[in-house]
Amino acid sequence: MVITFPHMGKMYIPVKALFDELGVDIIIPPKINKDTLDIGLKSCPEMACLPLKVTIGNYVESIKRGADTIVLSGSCGPCRFGYYGVIQKEILKDLGYDVDIVILDPPREGLRELIDRLKKISGNCSLYSGLAALSKAFKVSEGVEELLELVLKQRCKEINKGDTDDILSRFEEKVRKVKGANKILDCIQDAKGELSKVRLDSKKKTIKIGLVGEIYTIIEPFVNFDIEKKLGDMGVEVHREMSVDNWVKYHLFPDIKFRRKQKRTLKYAKDYLDLCIGGHAWETIAHALYYARKGMDGIIQIMPFGCMPEIVAESILPTLAKNENIPVMTLVVDELTGEAGYQTRLEAFVDLLQLERSRKENEFGEALSWN
Amino acid sequence: MKIGIPRALSYFDYFPIWKTFLDKLGFKTIISSPTTKDILDKGVSLCVDDACLPVKIFHGHVADLIGKVDTIFIPRLISVSPGEYICPKFIGLPEMVKNTISDLPPLLVFNYDLHKGIKYRGKAFNTLARQLGLSGGVVDRAYKEACSMQDKYERMLKSGQSPLNILEPKESWDESIKNKVTIGIIGHSYLLCDRYISMDLIKKIQNKGYNVKVPSNVPDKKIEENIMDIPKRMFLSYGKRMLGSGIEWLKCDEVDGIIFLSSFGCGIDSFIEELIRRYNAREYKLPYAVFSLDEHSGQAGFETRLEAFLDMMEWRNRIGHNFSAHG
Ligand code: SF4
Ligand code: SF4
Repeated sequence: MVITFPHMGKMYIPVKALFDELGVDIIIPPKINKDTLDIGLKSCPEMACLPLKVTIGNYVESIKRGADTIVLSGSCGPCRFGYYGVIQKEILKDLGYDVDIVILDPPREGLRELIDRLKKISGNCSLYSGLAALSKAFKVSEGVEELLELVLKQRCKEINKGDTDDILSRFEEKVRKVKGANKILDCIQDAKGELSKVRLDSKKKTIKIGLVGEIYTIIEPFVNFDIEKKLGDMGVEVHREMSVDNWVKYHLFPDIKFRRKQKRTLKYAKDYLDLCIGGHAWETIAHALYYARKGMDGIIQIMPFGCMPEIVAESILPTLAKNENIPVMTLVVDELTGEAGYQTRLEAFVDLLQLERSRKENEFGEALSWN
Repeated sequence: MKIGIPRALSYFDYFPIWKTFLDKLGFKTIISSPTTKDILDKGVSLCVDDACLPVKIFHGHVADLIGKVDTIFIPRLISVSPGEYICPKFIGLPEMVKNTISDLPPLLVFNYDLHKGIKYRGKAFNTLARQLGLSGGVVDRAYKEACSMQDKYERMLKSGQSPLNILEPKESWDESIKNKVTIGIIGHSYLLCDRYISMDLIKKIQNKGYNVKVPSNVPDKKIEENIMDIPKRMFLSYGKRMLGSGIEWLKCDEVDGIIFLSSFGCGIDSFIEELIRRYNAREYKLPYAVFSLDEHSGQAGFETRLEAFLDMMEWRNRIGHNFSAHG
């Protein structure tokens, strides 16, 4: 059995750590590129959400490299995400790939089933080694997140453009080659060490933008045209609460501490949205408020075209923007989105924030301290 | 007090229970007028661009009620069946309306959530009554009558009647044509029953002398049976009904052709349509067409495509079922 899984940002790193520890063979889907998307476009319903199309491409590329089992997480509503597995199986079948798709639904859909499925993909390892592998994967997930946070903080202030991203891409190359959680943790440590040597302009006043929206489009640079880098290169400090680590903690294995924090965060949204409507719309609103109150200059919502829950959030955001007096922009991405137009919109938004910033500073008669 | 009910979305499935309940409590209910170009345009301009057509239309109907009523009834259908949902937009509907339409009268938000069990149905109506300042016997009586009205509606549907006949009983359909040729139309009830937005598809087909079947005609039991084989529990109620009816019609040779009426931007349609189309292409090869509606759909093109589909179906019926009619 050779396992593969959807590619979502840096998600593959903790997943790789987990399977390495379990001693299960995996194929990491190649970095998403135009071909990946094209495979999806040719075989998926036009109205399907973008993540479904891209992940089909991931599977096909991995299958061609030898994968025979696909693992993905499930859900049972309210959004259609929970149905990805079913549709994708049919699509792959018609494409002539008869592979196993293992959907890991949350435990309340049937604990027995979940355990059986986990056993199946973990090569029947013992409970003890299973848990040990999990806790290692957790560590990796946290480590990756710390690294990415650092990148976000530094990129906008680096003196030599590109230093940070060079380190990040070297790190990614290396990680794909090593085996085992410990080795991966070493790579993370090394990368952090290198990052600390990057020369920064620590006095630089950066514009701060908070990202909210649908998780896949936030985390996967291919579909968001590497928004973090684009903004970072414009000297913007990007904040994003949505992350690989949060996703792991929320979806894969419940982490009590994280859940509590999550609950507190969601309370923020109370006046605008007070229940889960599916996807991450609730978080979108909660995080937007959190950013507004933390003094960010602006908020960008990003989502795939037709994303049902985010459309509800999109309807709410203008009111929030008015009440909190913070500019909000929504970016909808799909296969037709052109990079040039996208870049222009980002630049215009950043210009607007810059203007707002100087207007505010003048109003107060002196520069506010942001750092 | 006058309560306005938008004639859109789940109205077409639940109006008997809602309207009867509110009427019996002594309120005057006013239903927004059937969709017109004006209502559609209003909805399109108010709602966020990225929303699906039916949600935009709902916005138009809400706007239509402004100034005519004291409060507008906005259903928040979280779940209509235990363990299932409908669609994220149904849950966020009150928020969408509140944040995009200005000058609204107070909203009467009806929270309806049977995810944890059917017993929450009565509770939901009790809460609704309480929001209106009523409780006790009068509410119980109103609820009972409302339920029996709803049951009657559903029985009529299950007996095979077209929802349009029930909705507009004054219109006389030519029942005499007991034609053998039947077309199954899969789609959300709020598309099928909205004569403006569906380009009057049901009636057009009936007028050409065919029988029409819609998903609400298919018995619940059949739906459940048919989706048993799907490798994952179907947790979206409308999706389940559409998929279950589609499979029923494919399997049981009850219809001579299937039309999938979908709306642009609907996340559920796209998934269900994909499954039905693939099943059909693999095994059954019934004449099959997808008509996708959006705010720019034109009558002319629609008409032509319908003609083409019917011709193909007729042609196939004449020469037998041996040819793939897919495409
Ligand atoms: S949340 Fe959005 S992207 Fe995710 S399944 Fe739902 S519609 Fe698709
Ligand atoms: S089910 Fe489809 S058409 Fe209905 S509200 Fe949801 S997305 Fe729109």
